[in-house]
Amino acid sequence: MSDTDTPTSVTIESARTSLWERASVVWLVPMGALIIALAIAWNHWQSRGPLIEITFSNASGIRAGETEVRFRDVTVGLVEHLTLEGDMKNVTAEVRLDKDVAEYVDDGAVFWVIRPEVTTRGVSGLDTVLSGVFIEGDWDSEIGASQTEFVGLENAPLLSPGEEGLRLTMRAVGEDGLSGDSPILYRGIEVGAVGPSRIGNDGSTVLADAVIFAPYDKLITSTTRFWNASGFSLSFGPEGASVDFDTISTLIAGGITFDTAASGGVPAQDGDRYDLFDDESEARASLFSRAEGPEFELTLVFDDNVSGLRPDASVELSGLRVGRITNLTGLVDPDRFGDNRVRLLATMALQPERLGLGEDGMDPIEFLQRSVAEGMRARLTNASLLTGGLKVDLVTLEDAPDATLDLDAEPYPVFPTAPPELTDVAATAEDMFNRVNNLPIEELLQSAIDFLNGATSLVANEDTQSTPKDIRALLGDIRGLVGSDEVQAVPEQLSTLMTQLGGVATELNTTIQQLNEAQLVSTLSETLVSLQGTVERANASIDGVPQLVERVDGVVAKLETVPIDQLTVDLSELLKAVDRLIDTPQARQLPADLSQTLTEVAAVLRELREGGTVENVNTTLQSASDAADAVARASDELPTLVDRLGNLISQAQATLTGYDGNSQINRDARTALRALTEAARAIDGLARTIERKPNSLILGR
Amino acid sequence: MSDHSDIPSARSRGMLACTRCGAVWPIAAEGTDCDRCGHTLHSRDTKSLQKVWAWWIAGVMAYIPANLEPMLKTRTLVMESESTIVEGAFDLIHHGDIPVALIILIASVGIPVAKFGAIAYLAFSVNRQAKLSAHGRQHLYELVEYIGRWSMIDVFVVAILSALVQLNAAAQISPGPAALTFALSVIFTMLSAQSFDSRMIWDTDPAPNDPTKKDPHLERH
Repeated sequence: MSDTDTPTSVTIESARTSLWERASVVWLVPMGALIIALAIAWNHWQSRGPLIEITFSNASGIRAGETEVRFRDVTVGLVEHLTLEGDMKNVTAEVRLDKDVAEYVDDGAVFWVIRPEVTTRGVSGLDTVLSGVFIEGDWDSEIGASQTEFVGLENAPLLSPGEEGLRLTMRAVGEDGLSGDSPILYRGIEVGAVGPSRIGNDGSTVLADAVIFAPYDKLITSTTRFWNASGFSLSFGPEGASVDFDTISTLIAGGITFDTAASGGVPAQDGDRYDLFDDESEARASLFSRAEGPEFELTLVFDDNVSGLRPDASVELSGLRVGRITNLTGLVDPDRFGDNRVRLLATMALQPERLGLGEDGMDPIEFLQRSVAEGMRARLTNASLLTGGLKVDLVTLEDAPDATLDLDAEPYPVFPTAPPELTDVAATAEDMFNRVNNLPIEELLQSAIDFLNGATSLVANEDTQSTPKDIRALLGDIRGLVGSDEVQAVPEQLSTLMTQLGGVATELNTTIQQLNEAQLVSTLSETLVSLQGTVERANASIDGVPQLVERVDGVVAKLETVPIDQLTVDLSELLKAVDRLIDTPQARQLPADLSQTLTEVAAVLRELREGGTVENVNTTLQSASDAADAVARASDELPTLVDRLGNLISQAQATLTGYDGNSQINRDARTALRALTEAARAIDGLARTIERKPNSLILGR
Repeated sequence: MSDHSDIPSARSRGMLACTRCGAVWPIAAEGTDCDRCGHTLHSRDTKSLQKVWAWWIAGVMAYIPANLEPMLKTRTLVMESESTIVEGAFDLIHHGDIPVALIILIASVGIPVAKFGAIAYLAFSVNRQAKLSAHGRQHLYELVEYIGRWSMIDVFVVAILSALVQLNAAAQISPGPAALTFALSVIFTMLSAQSFDSRMIWDTDPAPNDPTKKDPHLERH
């Protein structure tokens, strides 16, 4: 074989080559693939989150491998398996969570299923119609104790993830109940929501969870009251009929609204329980009677069957509603009352808690028995003047006939009643209107109009307006008179008169001398002696002064009792008379008369000037001047006279000092002497003045 | 080695042929470039088996995710679904579309798996006694080479669907990760088959004319 060389060479080559030289580059391909596969597997393993189990009552719409778990609409997990629990009661969804959110899904996390829903409040979860349901989760941003098994919620929580708000529990106390899944409105704005309602443990109340979204949660305090705003109310009043409802949605789906009627409440806390009232007035009334307790029923029998009392009418004690009328029937019982009259039988439900009789308070029966013994009776009174409705008032009557609480009566104890106290509003009102109608309004107005007319015509009178002109003319005349020569000449004549007065004074002097000679002083002394006797008698009579003072007091007292009011009335009448007087034609004529008078005065003055009257005056003054001359003469003697008088007074003083310094008479006498002294001085001054300026007697200065 | 063959090979004549242009060169030209076409001349590709196995492993590795991952992502208005190759085929069977399902199953599962088996068998049988005759193995190799391209039919279907069904919200089809890995698997398998130097089949064939070996050969046909 010639080919022995070739295999030899091939063998040598292959033997020489190392492993790396023999290895093909293609091996890199599977190695690369292996590395990539391992990397992918590692990455997947690394990013794989934990598996949690969520238990639901049913798995409607949930599919393994498809249904997502979302948090704020971001997919954070996927349902991997869906299994029935061992007891066949629940369905467990195993969810693979994303690793980055897993640690936040702690014991506070909640899950619920979002399904498409069409309710009266709107359509929700519409996107799930096409994409299928998903599980919504909610948890806070803090990492808590880890948990892997959860129980899914039946319904979405009221507060969506990320929303803040106040969680409350509503309790319906009225008969209307509570329509769940309805909005909470405040002045028409949706500020919260009520979740599904449920029957409370006691079987008679309806409970529901509710939330108030932030920031409206600040509106809720302990004095906030909630009431049902659903449906509509129809009311008739003086303004007509009114239909009232909040929004269309509340009309259809119901709703709750609230108001904080009183200040001073403390802010509400999460989990607080609030009562839901049937309507606004009831809610507001509850502010002042917080406790609603069991009712306590009594029977009332009214002798008069008065119309106007209706079921649910209030029963009030001192204006505070303590109960209500629950039932009304007529009652005919000849055996019991002795006649065939129809009586009004009312059933009254009292709330002991409103009477202040709490659980630990007095027994209501005992309280009522005691009250009845003290005279408490039920009485029908007007509740509303407009509608004529009646209410029952629990009043304590002083003169009530004896009665007791009939505890044996069926079905309820009978509470004694009193005759109704009803007001006939219509009659009273009519009477008042009649009186008003009879008031002489029109006459009064006519008088006022007349008076104003009179005043206007008075002011507008030509005579009134011309009065100032006449006065000015009169003054002109007076000026003319004063400026006339005759008047100017008067002072000279006065001087003459003074001279004559001097003569008179001389005569006076003579007279005084004669008087002096006639032992005036001794006479005076005697007089003073007799005066002393008089004073003594007077002293004796002074004792009667206190009585006098008493009398004066009596007079003053009588004065005080003088009816000032009457006086005021008289004054008023006087003023009215004046008013009437002003209104008289005479008063209106007055300015004209005045004007006329002034004209006449002017004429008289003219006559005076013209008719020589002044000259007559001059003559008179001449005689006066003569008299003055006499006076002047007399005044020469005056100093002497004064001296004598002075002496006389000194003597009198000396005499008087003899009397008891403190006696009344003494004081009076001194006063008299002082007066005499002043008189003497005055005469002295007069004399000097006359000496110095004789014409001052005429001019007065 | 070649002594047992009554048909003389180029190797036994001290010659070698260029595998690209067919030019015959003396065996001394081993390792040099062909003067006519520039292709490196090898009497036998000594690294052929290594390459076959390397591509084969890569192909198998790619084939695993190709069957586990979804091939098609179908999103319509009401639903979004992902399905692997086998799931899709079984879905079709459930819908009663058995012929199409069979085509998919054969093209995407049967043929690739058969190819892996065939290539592995050929590579193994180079160095040991094979039950199948050299002729049979040659036919098998040709069949593998020929049929390999048809495995891409699934990838083409996905590509065409993805390109056509893009109706925005109404419906959308997009290729899944399996489409890529399946395509890679097919490519790797084809490269594996190409890497196989079919001349090695004959180097070990003891007696092509042996009647005892002919029966399986004929059965194969």
